[in-house]
Amino acid sequence: MNEWIVFLLLLLAPVVSSIPIALAYKSKGWTEKLPYLSVFGIFVSVVMSLYIFFVFPENQQYTYAWIPELGINFVFMCDYLSRYMGVITAVIAFFIAVYGLDYMKGDYRPSWYWFFFNLFTASMLLVVYSDNLFLLFVGWEGLGAASWGLIGHWFRDDDEITYVGMPKRKVGPLELSWPPSFGGWRAISTIRFGDVPMFLAIAAIWVLAGNLNISEIEWGVLFGTIGTAGTVILLLCILMGLFTKSAQVPFSEWLMTAMTGPTTVSALLHSATMVAAGAFVFIKLTWYIEPWHLHGVSGLEPVYIVVLFVGLLSGLYGALSGSGMLERKVLLASSTMSSIGLMFAAAAASFWVGHFAVLVAFWYMAVHAFAKASLFLVSGHLIHATHSRFLCGGLEFGKRIKPAFIVTFVATTFLVGMPPFTAYWVKSGMDEVMEHLVHDLGFLPLILLILTSLVYAGIMAKFLSLNFIKGEKPHHEHLEGGGLMKLGYSMMVSVLFVLIYLIFKSDETAEFVHAGYAPVSFAVGFAVLIAYVVALYKPQISALSKIGTFFNDRMYLPFANDYILPKTGFFVSHIVQEYGNRGIDGLFNTKVIPGLFGGISKGIRAIQTGYLSRYINIVLGLVMIVLILAAIGGVGL
Amino acid sequence: MMELPMMMLMALVILTLGSVFSFKYRELGFYGAVVAIIIAFSAVSLSAPQLIYYSAFIFAIGIINLVSLKAIKSVIQGIDYGLVGMMALATLYIFTTQDLAMILAAFVLVSVPTYILVMVREGGANVEVGIKYITFMVLATVLFLIGAIILAYTKNAFDGVLLWEDQPLLRFYYILGYVMLVLGLSIEVGVAPLHEWVPDVFTSADPIPMSIIASLAKIVPFIVALRILISTSNSLTVSITLFTAVLATVSMFTGNIGALTSKEHARVLAYSTVANMGYVLACVVVIIKPEFFFFALTGALLMLFANAAGKIGFFTAIKSEGAFSPMMYMLAFSFIGLPPLMGFWGKLFILFSLVKAEYIWLVALMVINSAISIPYYLRLARELGVGWKTNLTNFICIAVVIITLITFLPDWFFKGMEVIAQTIGIAI
Repeated sequence: MNEWIVFLLLLLAPVVSSIPIALAYKSKGWTEKLPYLSVFGIFVSVVMSLYIFFVFPENQQYTYAWIPELGINFVFMCDYLSRYMGVITAVIAFFIAVYGLDYMKGDYRPSWYWFFFNLFTASMLLVVYSDNLFLLFVGWEGLGAASWGLIGHWFRDDDEITYVGMPKRKVGPLELSWPPSFGGWRAISTIRFGDVPMFLAIAAIWVLAGNLNISEIEWGVLFGTIGTAGTVILLLCILMGLFTKSAQVPFSEWLMTAMTGPTTVSALLHSATMVAAGAFVFIKLTWYIEPWHLHGVSGLEPVYIVVLFVGLLSGLYGALSGSGMLERKVLLASSTMSSIGLMFAAAAASFWVGHFAVLVAFWYMAVHAFAKASLFLVSGHLIHATHSRFLCGGLEFGKRIKPAFIVTFVATTFLVGMPPFTAYWVKSGMDEVMEHLVHDLGFLPLILLILTSLVYAGIMAKFLSLNFIKGEKPHHEHLEGGGLMKLGYSMMVSVLFVLIYLIFKSDETAEFVHAGYAPVSFAVGFAVLIAYVVALYKPQISALSKIGTFFNDRMYLPFANDYILPKTGFFVSHIVQEYGNRGIDGLFNTKVIPGLFGGISKGIRAIQTGYLSRYINIVLGLVMIVLILAAIGGVGL
Repeated sequence: MMELPMMMLMALVILTLGSVFSFKYRELGFYGAVVAIIIAFSAVSLSAPQLIYYSAFIFAIGIINLVSLKAIKSVIQGIDYGLVGMMALATLYIFTTQDLAMILAAFVLVSVPTYILVMVREGGANVEVGIKYITFMVLATVLFLIGAIILAYTKNAFDGVLLWEDQPLLRFYYILGYVMLVLGLSIEVGVAPLHEWVPDVFTSADPIPMSIIASLAKIVPFIVALRILISTSNSLTVSITLFTAVLATVSMFTGNIGALTSKEHARVLAYSTVANMGYVLACVVVIIKPEFFFFALTGALLMLFANAAGKIGFFTAIKSEGAFSPMMYMLAFSFIGLPPLMGFWGKLFILFSLVKAEYIWLVALMVINSAISIPYYLRLARELGVGWKTNLTNFICIAVVIITLITFLPDWFFKGMEVIAQTIGIAI
């Protein structure tokens, strides 16, 4: 098969297959049938991604002309990262789509949902396979647009179950409760804030390096040309895009209120697209920048230190916030933020540790994607079954919804890093990476990682416990149906077994297994197990309820988003309106300039008295003066 | 095949005969003029194929001018066709000769008919306007011709001089000749601050003859001036060019700002002419960079054609108290300089040539002027625009709108100009 057909099908099948349902938005009959076509479009992408994985040679670049004069082309790269990530993205999107056939049944605007869902998938695939930064940015913006559409999907804000936050909870002037429309707005406004500097950075790379293909840019030469300050500014501009997209502190707020979207959206957003995109692009850039070879380039180390600590702090912040949360999806959201933080941190550690740290970050992303997607899908089923977005459901309920119970158990144990389950081996690699940093950066990174891992284990156990074992009895129980939903999360979680097989089998991950047998890793794994069991047994500690509320309020970070920033903006616009505008209006529209033009214009017309003698005086006078001046000048020149 | 001079002569004979017999049969004047223009157009296009686009525009403008005269019942009806035909003939002829005497003769042939045309009105003669106009035209023609002769003299004298730093008298002559020629041109076409006749004549004369004076009559003086100035330029030109640039700037501002508060439509058009002549005069600056002169020439001609088309449309609309609204807006947009209308390309080529001549401040001021002109052109279009009526005015307006649209991709015209610019020099 021609390569270009593969890429065309991979990227266009999801979009094209969702156009019919988008066009048929008025017909109830068609919008009930056409979702199957949309899901089929994603299935085509799955097949193509697998075809690329098994048939295409590794590290092969495919270029198709777009605007060759400007170095902007359709350039796809089939390297280690994109081959795996492409399959992960497509498969996860497909499982979620199958689940969505059940979950979104009877929704009030399926056309909107399926179009943006498929656009979301295609955009992420574009980000994954693009080697050209401009092309990547097209996918990147597609993610932004689709996320806005999906988070605000239930734009009518008419169902409290779609909200995020405690109803009527007020802290100071701020109500900590957000409807879907606000959630969509918070997402797009935060992301745009980072996209603009990122776009400028891409433009700067284009000007400075003359090439936009990530794998071809001479990064070392580029950084050398622009010096320390240039390197720092350039990379920070890119990181603004990545941090906002990946919801790292202090840009994490949008991710929490993104839970106002349908659960399928949350699942996709958190596993293989959107937040993962930021971390993935950082991993991809680091993969080709190879900072471990560029220790002579000044400016690179401070940037990697920033990323390391932003990642670790986001990790801890997310885990701690999650520990106080009572909403199913928001708890998972803050745990995602935590995991993504660890991915950033591990990838950043590659500056000191080398290539291995990037692999750790990437494999953690893979494991996290399937586990987290499973948990989200379960929590969507639970919301349907209990009509509540809050953690609830005792053992009795758990027994009646066994598939969800089992999947949650598997996903949490496989994700937190307890021996001998999947994430344990990857996390062991991460422990080893942070241990390496002791020499350069002290114990702080390792301590932050271990703390995060323990709290993380606790919140995952809490999720399991309060939903299936020790939670309150739900007010409603609706357990019928949901076959496709069960199928969706069961397929999703089963991939975790495939991953553990791959970790043991693959050459690249042999070091993970080796790290898993190290005493430090085992000790951390054991501590994680203890934390998990304790939290399972005691998911809520009433003595700590105050601090729990503080964590549940996300340490008052919403104030920055919803109060300080808007108030500052309103203040500035007020000043501009009251003083600036009046001045500008007076200058341009009402007084100064119109008056000036009016006056001069009347002056010009005042010459026209109609008397020939006057005109002759003027013209002859001017001619004589000019001729005399010319005569004098002519002699003088 | 007959040669160009013979064919031009034939055209002149037909024109004259048509005018003579128009005393008996009025229509003969019209048909004589049309036939004469057709012959001259064919003659020029056949002998110099590179001139075909230029000639086609002049042909179109000349014919439209002739047709528009049908809207007025003048006492000299018949002769007026002959006069317009004469102007068109001279304008067609202007690029085909290298002879200074013929070129100056063509200048006079375009200028003098306007003395009579300006007085044409329904059932009488507008003597007061005529006197005002002729007074200035005589002054302009004298300055222009003497300036041209002095420049030609300096050119010949310079050729024999190796170190002309030692020749203060020659330098003096050159500067004097240059300034006289530019002043003469300025009075002739109405460049501020020598524009005093323009608002009065434009408002008191009949709109139809005005549409001819504001269109066809403006083209030849500029071409003659450009040809003489570029043929006689030397290293002194760089210093004296600033004078022209300042004059162009004063004219743009005077015209555009003066038009802002003018209420009478003809007066707005008068100031618009002052401004447009400023834009075209700016092209004279580019003779200091002969390698980019063809940009300036393209710009100047497109600007003059756009000005001609717009003035014909608007004056005809004034005559019949309004024309079809969309046509009025198209002409206003062309004057403002919106792409892809001809006014845009004219300005663009002028600006581009000025950039190449390194007159950046002039570029900036010209752009600002384009912005200043927006309100009054839109006002003109709004006030003159009416619903559709099937009449002569609207057909004339459609014709001129087609002219402004025909260069929506101007590369063909530009390429023609590149060839013309190479042979623009005059044998002196």
